[in-house]
Amino acid sequence: MSVPLSQMWAVSSYVIRQKLAGRKRYPLVLMLEPLFRCNLACAGCGKIQYPAQILRKHLSVEQCLAAVDECGAPIVSIPGGEPLMYPDIGRLIEALIARKKYVYLCTNAILLKEKLEAGLFTPSKYLSFSVHLDGLREEHDEAVCRDGVYVQAVDAIKEALRRGFRVTTNSTLFEGASPLRMREFFDEVMDLGVEGMMISPGYSYAKAPDQEHFLRTQRAHELFSKILTNPRRRWRFNQSPLFLQFLMGKQDFECTPWGNPTYNMFGWQRPCYLLQEGYAATFKELLETTRWENYGKRSGNEKCRDCMVHCGYEPTAVNHTFSSWRGFRDTVAATVTGRF
Amino acid sequence: MTDETTLEGWTPEVGGGLSLATIIDRAFDYRGNVTVVKRDGSEMVGFLFNRNSDAPEPFVQMFDLDGAGPVTIPYHTIRTIRFTGRDTAAGNSYAAWLRAKAAAKAAGHAEKDSGPTPHRDA
Repeated sequence: MSVPLSQMWAVSSYVIRQKLAGRKRYPLVLMLEPLFRCNLACAGCGKIQYPAQILRKHLSVEQCLAAVDECGAPIVSIPGGEPLMYPDIGRLIEALIARKKYVYLCTNAILLKEKLEAGLFTPSKYLSFSVHLDGLREEHDEAVCRDGVYVQAVDAIKEALRRGFRVTTNSTLFEGASPLRMREFFDEVMDLGVEGMMISPGYSYAKAPDQEHFLRTQRAHELFSKILTNPRRRWRFNQSPLFLQFLMGKQDFECTPWGNPTYNMFGWQRPCYLLQEGYAATFKELLETTRWENYGKRSGNEKCRDCMVHCGYEPTAVNHTFSSWRGFRDTVAATVTGRF
Repeated sequence: MTDETTLEGWTPEVGGGLSLATIIDRAFDYRGNVTVVKRDGSEMVGFLFNRNSDAPEPFVQMFDLDGAGPVTIPYHTIRTIRFTGRDTAAGNSYAAWLRAKAAAKAAGHAEKDSGPTPHRDA
């Protein structure tokens, strides 16, 4: 495990406090989308297909912070759109760090080097750049539908590390991914010196251009088993080992759609980061009025049937760790041995 | 690599088995601007991003063409919705990108930036 101890402690103590308070539903990671604008148009992304006036809009820092405060999650992930295109990103990050939130700024890194050189950010244990890399150069450039992006991202990663920032990678795996190439990719990424990697299968967004390359459950289990069986000791993952076991088919989890709630210019997204079935004006309204029984594999909802994405199942994995001795034992064992 | 179907240009009217609720659901799912036609004859053009049929007074919410809003419009004031803006989710297919990439390679172009950047306008 590559997550720093202070962050592990912050998350652990938060989860234990929720359990002691008897809260059945609590957020773990706020997915904060300040804008939908992006400088890429990836084939697997369903997040940016909006009319021009929507792409021009963005949340104010005050709106972002109000959502962070209302939600209360210890971790704030900032996807988008491309958050480095958000004009107030420096001020937002500064305010989140002041609130002692652990921030993952999810970026394609095209603008990262430029922003670092401009002095927009200061290294902090609370700030990680989570750089989108879907594989080695050829695979990544194909996934983002633009050649040269992998090289740009790697350059930016090196620069961020040189300046003392925490850097992780996030990778979405699609149908046709080669286990061997992914293992080579993990080696290459760890050689860069990143803190850890995050991986997840893609979700079949109804609005994503590429609909044929999303993984179905059984194929996902097979693929992740091939990739993660006999992991190299030096691979480090910035996510729950139980989630990785789930991807390999070794854990039978149900989705926790409220675990990573999403806030953007439309409000609090029902029911999760991936599905858009409406918006609530407040986080309280989201929790209290969403028909949660309609979501997750066991609900029979077709849209949830093959979903194994981190935003629904990582909170389940973390909750599982703190719900039973077995969960705790499995987490500790995987963390200590580095095997899943 | 399917070619997308789109509701762009659809001008439905309620009746013949088509309900206002269905039209609203389609508009909510549509990734382009729409024109909401009200019972009083007025119209509002913009992006319909939310609808709630479970609220005591069901409503839709929109941002107008300047991005101003949100504007909340009760269901009972709506006559119909026209799908007047470009569907931004259509026409940007992965297949199209692969075809463009293959064509560029065949033409011997340097592949510095081969993506056919999708339009983002309304």
